[in-house]
Amino acid sequence: MYAKFKYISIAAIALSGVNMNRLYAQQRAIQGKVVDAITQQALPGVNVRISGQNQGTLTNTTGEFTLNVTGDALPVLEFSFVGYESQRVKANGTNLTLLLKPSSTDLEEVVVVAYGTAKRTSITGSVSTVSSKAIENRQVSNITKALEGQVPGLQSVASSGQPGTEATIRIRGIGSINASSAPLIVLDGSPYAGDINSINPNDIQSISVLKDAASSALYGSRGANGVIIITTKSGVTSDNTKINLNFTQGYSTRAVRDYDQVSTDEYFQLYWEALRNKNLSNGLTAEQAASNASKTVLTDLNINPYGSQYPQPVGVDGKLVAGAKTLWDDPWTDVLQRTGVRTQADLGFSGGSAKSTYYISGGYLNDQGIAIESGFKRYNLRANLDSKVKSWLNVGLNIGGSSTQQKYPQSEDSNTANIINFTRLVPSFYPYYERNADGSYVLDGAGNKIYDFGEYRPSGATPRNNLAASLPLDRNDIRRENLSARTYLEVLFSKNLKFKSTYSVDYLNGNTHNYTNPLLGDGVNTGGYVYRSNVRTVAQTWNNLLTYEKQFGLHALNVLAGQEYYDFNSSNINGSRQQFVLPYFDEPAAASQLNNFTGSSVDYRLLSFLGRAEYNYDNKYYFSTSLRTDGSSRFSPDKRWGTFWSVGGSWKLKQEEFLKDNTTLNQLTVRASYGGQGNDNLGTYYAYKGLYTIANSLGKGGTYTGRLATPDLKWESNLNLNVGVDVSAFENRVSLSVEYFNRRSKDLLFTMPMAYSTGYTGYDANIGALKNTGIDVDIRTVPVQNDNFKWSLDVNLSHYKNKITALPKDNKSIITGNKLLRVGGSIYDFYLPEWAGVNPENGLPQWYTADKDGNKTGEKTSEYSKAGNFIAGTSLPDLVGGIQNSFTYKNFDLSALLSFSLGGKILDNDYIQLMHSGNNPGRAWSKEILERWTPENTQTNVPKLTTDNLNWTSASTRFLYSGTYARLKNVSLGYRLPSDLLKRIGVEKLRVFATAENLLTFYGHQGMDPEQTVNGATYFRYPAMRTISGGIQLVF
Amino acid sequence: MKLKIIYILLALSLVNASCKDALELDPTTSVPEGEVFKNTDNVATVINGTWKYLNDTYFTYANPGYTAVMRTSDAMGSDVAVTTKYGYRDAYAFTELTNNRSNRVNSFWIMLYKVIDNMNNVIAKVDGAEGSAEAKNVLKGKAKALRAFSYLNLATFYQFSYLKDKNAKSVPIYTEPSTLSTEGKSRSTQAEVYELILKDLKDSEGLLASAAIGAKYEININVVYGLLARTYLQVGEWKLSAEYAEKVAKNYNLMNASDYQDGFNDLGNKEWIWGHQQTNEQNVASYTFHYLDVSSAGSYYYSFMADPYFKDLFDTSDVRYALFEWDNLPGREGFLRYKKFKFKSNLIGDIVYMRASEMVLIAAEGYARAGEKDKAVAALNKLRIARNAKLFLGNDTDQLISAILIERRKELWGEGFALSDILRTQGKVVRKSYVDGEGKPIQVEIVGADGKPKLVNGQGHRVIKFPNGSDFVANSPYYLFSIPYEETVRNPNL
Repeated sequence: MYAKFKYISIAAIALSGVNMNRLYAQQRAIQGKVVDAITQQALPGVNVRISGQNQGTLTNTTGEFTLNVTGDALPVLEFSFVGYESQRVKANGTNLTLLLKPSSTDLEEVVVVAYGTAKRTSITGSVSTVSSKAIENRQVSNITKALEGQVPGLQSVASSGQPGTEATIRIRGIGSINASSAPLIVLDGSPYAGDINSINPNDIQSISVLKDAASSALYGSRGANGVIIITTKSGVTSDNTKINLNFTQGYSTRAVRDYDQVSTDEYFQLYWEALRNKNLSNGLTAEQAASNASKTVLTDLNINPYGSQYPQPVGVDGKLVAGAKTLWDDPWTDVLQRTGVRTQADLGFSGGSAKSTYYISGGYLNDQGIAIESGFKRYNLRANLDSKVKSWLNVGLNIGGSSTQQKYPQSEDSNTANIINFTRLVPSFYPYYERNADGSYVLDGAGNKIYDFGEYRPSGATPRNNLAASLPLDRNDIRRENLSARTYLEVLFSKNLKFKSTYSVDYLNGNTHNYTNPLLGDGVNTGGYVYRSNVRTVAQTWNNLLTYEKQFGLHALNVLAGQEYYDFNSSNINGSRQQFVLPYFDEPAAASQLNNFTGSSVDYRLLSFLGRAEYNYDNKYYFSTSLRTDGSSRFSPDKRWGTFWSVGGSWKLKQEEFLKDNTTLNQLTVRASYGGQGNDNLGTYYAYKGLYTIANSLGKGGTYTGRLATPDLKWESNLNLNVGVDVSAFENRVSLSVEYFNRRSKDLLFTMPMAYSTGYTGYDANIGALKNTGIDVDIRTVPVQNDNFKWSLDVNLSHYKNKITALPKDNKSIITGNKLLRVGGSIYDFYLPEWAGVNPENGLPQWYTADKDGNKTGEKTSEYSKAGNFIAGTSLPDLVGGIQNSFTYKNFDLSALLSFSLGGKILDNDYIQLMHSGNNPGRAWSKEILERWTPENTQTNVPKLTTDNLNWTSASTRFLYSGTYARLKNVSLGYRLPSDLLKRIGVEKLRVFATAENLLTFYGHQGMDPEQTVNGATYFRYPAMRTISGGIQLVF
Repeated sequence: MKLKIIYILLALSLVNASCKDALELDPTTSVPEGEVFKNTDNVATVINGTWKYLNDTYFTYANPGYTAVMRTSDAMGSDVAVTTKYGYRDAYAFTELTNNRSNRVNSFWIMLYKVIDNMNNVIAKVDGAEGSAEAKNVLKGKAKALRAFSYLNLATFYQFSYLKDKNAKSVPIYTEPSTLSTEGKSRSTQAEVYELILKDLKDSEGLLASAAIGAKYEININVVYGLLARTYLQVGEWKLSAEYAEKVAKNYNLMNASDYQDGFNDLGNKEWIWGHQQTNEQNVASYTFHYLDVSSAGSYYYSFMADPYFKDLFDTSDVRYALFEWDNLPGREGFLRYKKFKFKSNLIGDIVYMRASEMVLIAAEGYARAGEKDKAVAALNKLRIARNAKLFLGNDTDQLISAILIERRKELWGEGFALSDILRTQGKVVRKSYVDGEGKPIQVEIVGADGKPKLVNGQGHRVIKFPNGSDFVANSPYYLFSIPYEETVRNPNL
């Protein structure tokens, strides 16, 4: 199969080479100038090419171009430029002036697609783009966080607010159960395996999101979950170098307030009540129970914030004794959280001669987090060079390099070192500086306050720990150096045939340095501890593509054929030591005891052959088809090769006679595509062998069973139907694009559950099928447009339904954690004990029971283990989208992006920590606990307090909350200084602006940041940040 | 130029063709199955690696491998007054092991059955490996012993005593390596499970008879004898039990008074028969000392405090009595330390699985129940002499058995026998609040921070009834470990 491709391409080259020498005879020059149709300003960088040929150029800084044409016939020139409507004109004359209209819609723009670029009109598939305008000066460190609410069909969820973390992106639903559902990222033409953090959003020219088969099947085994193509800026021919300077400075705080907690007075009385209730159930009399509780409150909580004159601050009546008043209130946010400072500066140079262009930029970012000792720093540079070495040879090189430092103290997980959770769990009556019994601070010899490590705190309040003291002495650093290079060589054999060979490499070196100091906190008992790790990842792609393009009368044909080889290697080493001899030394060399040292590596390779053909007739009827075959090292030799394909077509109704003269309608297109893509990303690189895990023990070799052999494992495949219609009208002031999709995933890679007693939890298998069907709507309007004022309003909406259509073993349902996979349900359907309220009689929690068949009996139980599990809705939203408003008035501009997600549920495991019944003394309590059951308050949703674990905070529908929210992701207000004023000082553009990220959040469940994971789970994570910044943009 | 380009492209195609082999790749942290069962040296890695899995796998910080099973057994007994600290407080309150969705319930089950499957692989495949017959016998013997050990744990904690009802459904039995087509099995009876355990151990006895005695974390003939003694005690074969226990006990000396204060943390201890070693690199199991160790500064949870009434079981001359101490540190005043377990430096400590005192006590109990009173008294007093405790002088069998069971509580405190003894003997948990007749906390004297004595409330048991408010009784379902909910769902045959 793949061999055939090669011979075809070689033959094609051999034939076409014959004509090569004739190409450059009979030349004449066409000159021209391109200006903005509205402002009359010259447009640099416009792509000018001769229709049906590879020959083309870009306009220089004054908007001028020169093209050499051959032959007598009047050539047709095509002008295209991002953000403007493309035009085709006959070159009747040698000195042209062309007016390009800014496109209020993007129907005519040039977009980056798989292995090339295409005009929007010629695309038969589903491609959305995000322009640099929508990204630049967004106050996000990671580009994935800027996409939320901007692209129909794209769901972006930033579950962590820690600077330097990524958002999770899903395109058109969830395509896989166990394999990855993440889209493929492509940077400047090649799959990207570097650090997404290393890409400076201000270097990005455009982002294309490929959503259907016709657009993404060319990426074969990696295209099933969509593709995001990031293209960086390139230079334009000009006499002067254009210098671009951006600077912003901002401040970050929490986007939403944390869960409200009870006051100290309330806490002490509530805990007394828990003790009293437990004493009663232990059989003590009411009197004994109360007096014993009064005595035990301080024993359990180990602190008396009321001072020693109140040795029993809670009386036998359960109330604070008269006169008792807290001597301090020390919320730990005071010392563990802060207002973060964010600074970003970028400097760029672009320009070039007729033969070579360049874009060179450098950037600096320092994004402090809201938690102390957290933050992200980046230094990056980029050089993009393109050169016409010979009339028949183009070469280019894009290099991006970056060095980042992420300060990343533990900020998810239930680990006691989690700075976010620590702040939440330790109540404010435990002081952060040591206090005397009278509330005054204990001072050291020099008169300084002393951090209180809380040796005495109960385990619910994280004893022996004070992150405010220890973190500044510790290290939690991740340093990464990323180098991404894309280099190409393009040979123009004839005006119709070209060959392009691209070699790309992404090199990423990540170095982690964790250090626990020996002086304070955890490290005291081990003499300090250091962990160092290094991960080196190198991904190389080499592809060779042959493109043939020809116009035969009204028929236009474009054929691409090629080959690609991908090689990925990641290797790591890590080790740790403890027992530092001297304080303030934090490298392993200074620690005397070796704990361990280990290392490993993985390899992954992919060999591919691909081809695509596009045809259109008279710019009315478009057809495209693609084919790719991939061999992957992940699977057994027998199942290794897979073939992926697509077909697509579109019909430009507006070009037809019956609509040609309709002046209201500017565009009417219907499109459809269908095809199959693959997904091999199982999370394991050796998906077919029976393996024993290496577990050496006490100096001898050791292994134990890892996975069962699965020689039949193969690709997941995705059959993807897309039908769309694009309409624009009223001088393109209103445009609408509606797409329906039906993605069917089959042979899903899944861990087939096995009974735990077999010694395995499951094996990998291609089982079952699911589908995602939905609608994406993209509306772009310009409601008002006049000389001084323009208002544009864009809305995008996506709705999809995720549905499992087949499961193994006669469609038997499968439980995975707290979800149930069943035919007809979504992959994220919660399957939980159903909360049946608090028993008004005795205050115990209740759940519904199930009969043998799993049906609800209506009976309730207070024993959690007897509760039945029931379907309780999905975590997937019904509707996600964004609303973008932009206003320009004279030199002012204002824009606002609101993103929203309606429907879907989240199981709040963070909150339950604050909802214990009194069985975790010293752990903070949420406000809601005040509503606990008492003999007087029997109608409530919070059970009685007792020091027993009633298991009531175990997962149930009680803690399932709506995930609906809307977030004002970005608001930006700018003023552009008048250009005639600026010209006098040699400045082309000067804009000052203020911008805010996550300014407002509208949501339901107080305290829980609504942006959690796609599967609806919280995990004690770093909350989203609100960043408010001011900045300046200067071009000269 | 034409030709050049053709050459370039031809070169490219050749590179591509050679790439085809490049798609064959191997992992670096795992070994293909075929390699593992190639020869006996490689097969030995499965036993060693499984031992590590059993001991040094964190399921959670409260479940650092098999040691958690032993700690849970103690937390659910009468003599450890577990504090409110993280780890074992819910097991102690009988709300955790009954909760079939809890982490601990899942981890115990997964852990024990993973060991069984690994040993099944060794037993089934070792004969196909290259190597001497002797080497194969030793591997098979060790694998059978470890498999029996897993099943013995399951039979002990997941169903009431064999002697209560040997036909009661216990746990499923697997004796063949699991494959893709292995279905979950149904629960076998206690009789069937014990039959398998005994067969494995008897096989092992033969296979390991002449094998070298290796390090104490490796299974040898003494370990097999000890496991046979435990198993016979479970099934009421009193005499056999006593005889096997004595076979082992005679090979080891009992600790002296000063050894007893050393912290029960070192495999080198002369009494230890079987245990798990910890090193700076391999230290997951050591985490258990954060619960057990109530006196070292580095211990984080120090939650295994002693019940003050437990102290009353000892004579003051007893070497073990010296381990008691009222805690005087801020925040833990009035708790009773029993300073038996202590971290080594670097916060590590070896784990004891089986030691000579247990064998002496099994011999005593076996003989006592078999009616050989003199032998029983001799064994009991052998231990009491070593501990400098008053000798047993009575003549009544019931008193003798009761004294032996109390001696087990005293000698084996914190070593994992509390709940298993209660289940085995069909006894019940006994816990009382540390209060006087009027329900007031009993005051105890400690040395305050200022060096002066002061009176504080003595801290004893917090939980003195079952969660439903009822009194502790014998053979209560609250004592049993649940089969995980997930198992019941995934295994319809159960």
